[in-house]
Amino acid sequence: MIVSFPNMGPNWVAFKTFFETMGAEVIVPEPTNRNTIKFGVKHSPEFVCFPFKATIGDFKNALERGADTLVMAIDCGPCRFGFYASVQERILRDLGYKDFRLIPLDQADLLEFKWVKVLFDVSPSKSVSMYSKALKAVIMLLKKAKLLEDIQTAEGLFRAYERTQGDTTHVVNDLLQQLDQTNSLSGLRKFRPIIKNTFANMDIDRTRNPLRVGISGEIHISLEPYVNIDLRKKLGEMGVEIHQSISLYDWVMHKLHVNFHRKWYEHLAKPYVPIDIGGECRWVLGEYIDKANAGFDGFVHEYPFTCMPEVVARTIITNKLKKMYDMPIIYFSFDEQSGVEGMRTRLEAFVDLMHSRRNQDVKTNKVKLVNNQKQYGHYGNNFCHECIELIQPK
Amino acid sequence: MEVSGGAPKSKVKVGIPRALHFYRYFPFWKKLLEELGAEIVLSTPTSKKIVEEGVQMGFGELCIPMKVFYGHVLHLIENHPDLDYLFVPRYVAEDKDAYFCPKFLSLPDVIRILPNVPKMLNFEVNVKEFPISQSVIELGKQLGVGQSRALESYKTAKEYFKEYQDFLRKGVPVNHALRLVQRDLPFTVPKKKSKGDIKFLLLGHGYNVCDTYINLDFQKKLRDQGIEVITIENLPESLFKVPVIVNKRLRNYWRHEEEIMQAIRYYLTKGRDEIDGVIFLISFACGPDSLISELIMRDMKVVGIPFLDIIMDEHSGEAGLLTRIESFTEMIRRKKRKLEMDAKKKVKSKIKSEV
Ligand code: SF4
Ligand code: SF4
Repeated sequence: MIVSFPNMGPNWVAFKTFFETMGAEVIVPEPTNRNTIKFGVKHSPEFVCFPFKATIGDFKNALERGADTLVMAIDCGPCRFGFYASVQERILRDLGYKDFRLIPLDQADLLEFKWVKVLFDVSPSKSVSMYSKALKAVIMLLKKAKLLEDIQTAEGLFRAYERTQGDTTHVVNDLLQQLDQTNSLSGLRKFRPIIKNTFANMDIDRTRNPLRVGISGEIHISLEPYVNIDLRKKLGEMGVEIHQSISLYDWVMHKLHVNFHRKWYEHLAKPYVPIDIGGECRWVLGEYIDKANAGFDGFVHEYPFTCMPEVVARTIITNKLKKMYDMPIIYFSFDEQSGVEGMRTRLEAFVDLMHSRRNQDVKTNKVKLVNNQKQYGHYGNNFCHECIELIQPK
Repeated sequence: MEVSGGAPKSKVKVGIPRALHFYRYFPFWKKLLEELGAEIVLSTPTSKKIVEEGVQMGFGELCIPMKVFYGHVLHLIENHPDLDYLFVPRYVAEDKDAYFCPKFLSLPDVIRILPNVPKMLNFEVNVKEFPISQSVIELGKQLGVGQSRALESYKTAKEYFKEYQDFLRKGVPVNHALRLVQRDLPFTVPKKKSKGDIKFLLLGHGYNVCDTYINLDFQKKLRDQGIEVITIENLPESLFKVPVIVNKRLRNYWRHEEEIMQAIRYYLTKGRDEIDGVIFLISFACGPDSLISELIMRDMKVVGIPFLDIIMDEHSGEAGLLTRIESFTEMIRRKKRKLEMDAKKKVKSKIKSEV
């Protein structure tokens, strides 16, 4: 059995460990590229959401490289995502790819433990030892996912301070390689200090006081750099601090009902959208409010073109929240036609806007920059706080 | 209890936008609200002005039915400043396993924040969480009606709605039936004009299939070409009893899409010879339909039923649409003639060989 799965940025590291620990052979999806998208666009329904097109392309690549088992998350409404696996399977089979299994990973509520079945499905041996293996696989997945989240957090902060453009990107890539090689629990336990130290050793300019921007939106678009045209990196290289709380770990924790900051967002969003309507709608709303309260300079909302829940979120932010909280926001809806140039121009204008507002606020003493000390209030998780220590002026 | 002196209290005025679920539930809403003592104010049928205003309010990525809904709400606000309430229910789930599209789940939320909206009546249908009767009691409270009368009204409304649905199942076009409901006329089946020589199943959400402005009077265009049209609402209840299995693992979870697929399931199997073609009206940027139409298209290919999907938006042009319908029907008629000729030839040659 040779397992593969769709791309979602660096999260292949976590998925790979998961299936390998179960004893399966894994084909890591080849990084999403032009041909992946071309295939997806050609064979998918015309105006299905973009992640559908990208992930079916990933599947085709994997099948051609010899995968025979594809794993895809599903849920059961209310959005389109639950249909992905089935329709994709149908399309692939109609195209003549016959010898594969598509295993749906039911993520609707992880505490219902339907996903355990997947473990049994991908595990070659069906003996008792499987249980301990399965347990280990889950732990490895969670640990790596958490570490990936930490890398993402640090990356967002440090890129705004690097003296040589590209340093952060190198550091991140190195760390990903290292994390991929680390496959013991004891190794993973030591990994967090490694992340911290690697970033601490970067050549950074602590006297800067960059703009601070929150990013949120649909999860696949937010995590896969090819489909969002590497938005985070582009914005970071314009000297902006990026705070993105969406990650695989964040999502899994949420589905295990132990994600407290998401619960906080839900609480904030409740007056505007009281129920889960799919996608990230209510969390985007909550996060917009939360970041506005924490004094952020701006917010980026990214989602696939015509994505239903995010379009609702956008409507509510534009018509209501933006007027209440007055934090600048820029929307990016991505599909196969999105181009780098248009994005760059819009981002530059957005950054200019935020700068002039910041200057205004400094003049009127709304923002005080004492000694370039950066203030975050109660914002962020523990690791984020540790990183913030590293970027404060000495 | 006597109301001491004064003129009889005027009725509470409730505005209903003639869009989206209007085409599905209006008879139910009307009966219910009237039984609860309200007076109903409907927006006018969709017009150019309504669409234009709606388009301005929503932005490009919204599906056209949502933009039209905005337009109707704005129309009500503008023309009926005396409305006491606006009725924009939240439909989450009508049966335990199915949702409506996310945009229905958040409909009151996006309307509530528009400028100058009147107060809104809360009415949430979400049987995953609580029974409809509970929502009705809540609704009654907002209109100052006690629990027992609210439940009584609910019963009456349900019965009336059942009657309405049975009426549709006799093959009556939805728009005709809705007109009768609006005018409080009894359900009498209209005299059938001549039957067409070919019969199409017209698929799609009620608001696409029945809003004659948005779909450029699609049904009439078909009838003008001598085509008999049936819609999902006309099909017997028995088709909708068993859930569709998309594949072993996926239980379809969209209420309306489920009905579409159930209807299709019948024509793919037993009903194969009862229709000559299928047309699916889809609005641009519709989430659910983008996937469902793909599945249907693939199934149709396997069975060989002619299938046409028409994607509508606010820019759809009359001429292009007409050409597409014409060439589609032309193709089907040609095919049908050929089949009949072949059949005749076969009969002839059979007779010959027997001679
Ligand atoms: S949340 Fe958006 S991208 Fe995801 S399935 Fe729904 S419409 Fe598609
Ligand atoms: S079902 Fe489609 S057309 Fe209807 S509201 Fe949802 S997205 Fe729009």
